[in-house]
Amino acid sequence: MRIEFTPEQTALRDELRDYFGALMTDALRVECTRDMGEGGGPLWREALQQMGRDGWIGVGWPTEQGGRGLSPIEQFIFIEEVMRAGYPFPFLTTESVGPMLAEHGNDWQREELVPKILRGELLISIGYSEPGAGTDLASLKTSAVKDGDDWVINGQKMWTSLAHFCHYTWLAARTDPDAPKKHKGISMFLVPNSDPGWSCTPVNTLGGVRTNATFYDNIRVPDRNRVGELHGGWKLITSQLNRERLGLVNVGPTSVLFNRVVDWAAATQVDQGRLLDQPWVQLNLARVRSGIEALKLICYKQAWAMTEGQLDMADASAAKVYGSEFFIEVYRLLGEVLGQASLVKGDSEAGAVLGGQLERLYRTASIITFGGGTNEIQRDIISAAGLWMPRASR
Amino acid sequence: MDFGFSETQRDVQQLARKILGEQVSAETLAQYDEFAAERFDRGLWQQLADAGLLGVAIDQAHGGMGLGFFELALLVEEAGRVVAPLPLIPHAVSAALAIQQFGSEAQRAALLPGAADGSLQLSAALAETNNDNPARPSAVQAVVDGAGYRLNGIKTCVPYARGATAILASAAAPEGTIAVLIDPVAAGVRFSDVSYTTYEPLVEMALDEVMIDADAVLAGPEQGAAVMQWTAERTTAALCAHQLGVTDVAMRMTASYTAEREQFGVPVATFQAVGHRAANCFIDVECLRLNSYQAVSLLDAGNDATTEVQIAKVWAGDVGHRVSYAAQHLHGGTGIDRDYPLWRFCLWARHNEVMLGGSARQLSALGERIAAGEAYCR
Repeated sequence: MRIEFTPEQTALRDELRDYFGALMTDALRVECTRDMGEGGGPLWREALQQMGRDGWIGVGWPTEQGGRGLSPIEQFIFIEEVMRAGYPFPFLTTESVGPMLAEHGNDWQREELVPKILRGELLISIGYSEPGAGTDLASLKTSAVKDGDDWVINGQKMWTSLAHFCHYTWLAARTDPDAPKKHKGISMFLVPNSDPGWSCTPVNTLGGVRTNATFYDNIRVPDRNRVGELHGGWKLITSQLNRERLGLVNVGPTSVLFNRVVDWAAATQVDQGRLLDQPWVQLNLARVRSGIEALKLICYKQAWAMTEGQLDMADASAAKVYGSEFFIEVYRLLGEVLGQASLVKGDSEAGAVLGGQLERLYRTASIITFGGGTNEIQRDIISAAGLWMPRASR
Repeated sequence: MDFGFSETQRDVQQLARKILGEQVSAETLAQYDEFAAERFDRGLWQQLADAGLLGVAIDQAHGGMGLGFFELALLVEEAGRVVAPLPLIPHAVSAALAIQQFGSEAQRAALLPGAADGSLQLSAALAETNNDNPARPSAVQAVVDGAGYRLNGIKTCVPYARGATAILASAAAPEGTIAVLIDPVAAGVRFSDVSYTTYEPLVEMALDEVMIDADAVLAGPEQGAAVMQWTAERTTAALCAHQLGVTDVAMRMTASYTAEREQFGVPVATFQAVGHRAANCFIDVECLRLNSYQAVSLLDAGNDATTEVQIAKVWAGDVGHRVSYAAQHLHGGTGIDRDYPLWRFCLWARHNEVMLGGSARQLSALGERIAAGEAYCR
């Protein structure tokens, strides 16, 4: 038991911190803020391709697939640093779907698409949820019907984030409507977002982040756009979601935010001295600090367990629940420290504090308590897998 | 970054679990309830000593196993898993570690071999009324007398004092805090029983013109506060490890009980409300586990860990409280029935929560460190 970075891990962190420090120009920062931390702008694309040239995409992929072959714990350090830097890195494409294509893809996917992903030239959105299929994802209705050598796809997806600037959608569709178990009749496809049958309408969310409803109207794709085994999509979905969760709760941005609020409170004068010397301010900051420490350890342990090849299902779910609910608490506690200034938007003519970051964050905070596998389901997993408690059948 | 146990750590953990598991049960613990007998299983004490565990962190030169604080904390965690009737933390953590680290060669030679082989027992008086910071004592005063000191005042909640060979305590001398070893049978030392919630034998220790010879001084005023701070941090980390054992068992007992208890024709564990409250306990205990291990591991490596120890104790307090009440609640009436083993764990969860400062006190201290620029996130 040694809960500290090795010298090599510290060196990697320092290298990345320097690298992203240089990459994140002021102009790029402004563009990312404008795009609500989603990316998609011209400077953002340019920076992504720069990272591709510098070999910082696909850091966790095996070297024979063109990646850096970093262990999960090193990948975690990478994710933490990129998130600290504030660059909206397209994790879903590069760390989640990309490795699935590299591992399970056919020749076209591996030889044409994967190199483009590694160069930062190809972006993929995720099409799982539907109006009637959220937590019960296996009940999805979007269909893919074989017609000669092609597949014809029809249906609607919800919450297809980033789709408006991605090239493909990683789409779950029903290929066997008669399968005895509904999750056994699903296959995965790569659907081009440029197809005339593909359309998208924005869904504007509380946090100001745009997501999309996407529509699939008689889209015809060749069989080479199917990924993995026919009717074997569920396995790909679940392993993709497991990879996604590693990036969902990350301690980097919260650590930076905490430090910024401490510095702000130290520089802010009230009647009897610094705001930072007020007992109630110290109490809130101490609560946040204690919670961050736990989140850091949970994340590091998860990355370590993945490196050792022994990631525990209950631990992964515990990380997701703890992290997502803690973020909400953090924004409240730090918002109290800032007072009403925490409700002033970053583009306000007057009165904004810390770039209005907390005003935006508290509105976005609820997304991941249900997104990425709702916390009720995670708690079901924890009590069953972690405590061996029997579950009611669904 | 390594969250795994070494082979030695695993051996210590398994050996401790085997001995404690065999020797401690609800039946053996029942004999100490309501102070019917002194809560000290001397047979078990000797067995742990014979297995080398009592001296696990004592140097081989003084008859110990020569392992580190991490291995000792694993033993303490195992003691928590059965709420063992032993003075383990005051003896092996507070007193023995401080003597080993700061004692003179004569003090170490006189006390450590016996501490390791079980022939003597040590204690530590870390609390004063309304003051749980032993580095800043105010209720016991010391004045220089010859080569030693003369002490007056009161320490409270001193565990297992009557049978101790020496009791580590701090006192306020004119030049600063000193750390001394008090002989419980010395002239002027008087004990009054403190009837404590866990049935542990605690006393209030009144010192009336008690002479401390030079050879019983552990640290003078130049080093005393640092020595007591060092001791308090290790004791706090040990309380966290004990709390980890206590809460992990209370939680798992609850999971098993709800899996078997049926209402409406199904196990109550199948109700989501029940499963989710247990899942919250799982997350809580995991947070306590990681923070405790981090604090212990940093202290073991000799690093500064003041922030991490404070944070671990916040978790020990909050998690102890939440898991204790969730466990009782999910057990229904069984949780408070004294014929079922859960209730004793709830008493100890409370003790571990409060001793050396509860969450509010820790958060306040941490907040001061944050304000002093000493607790940024790295």
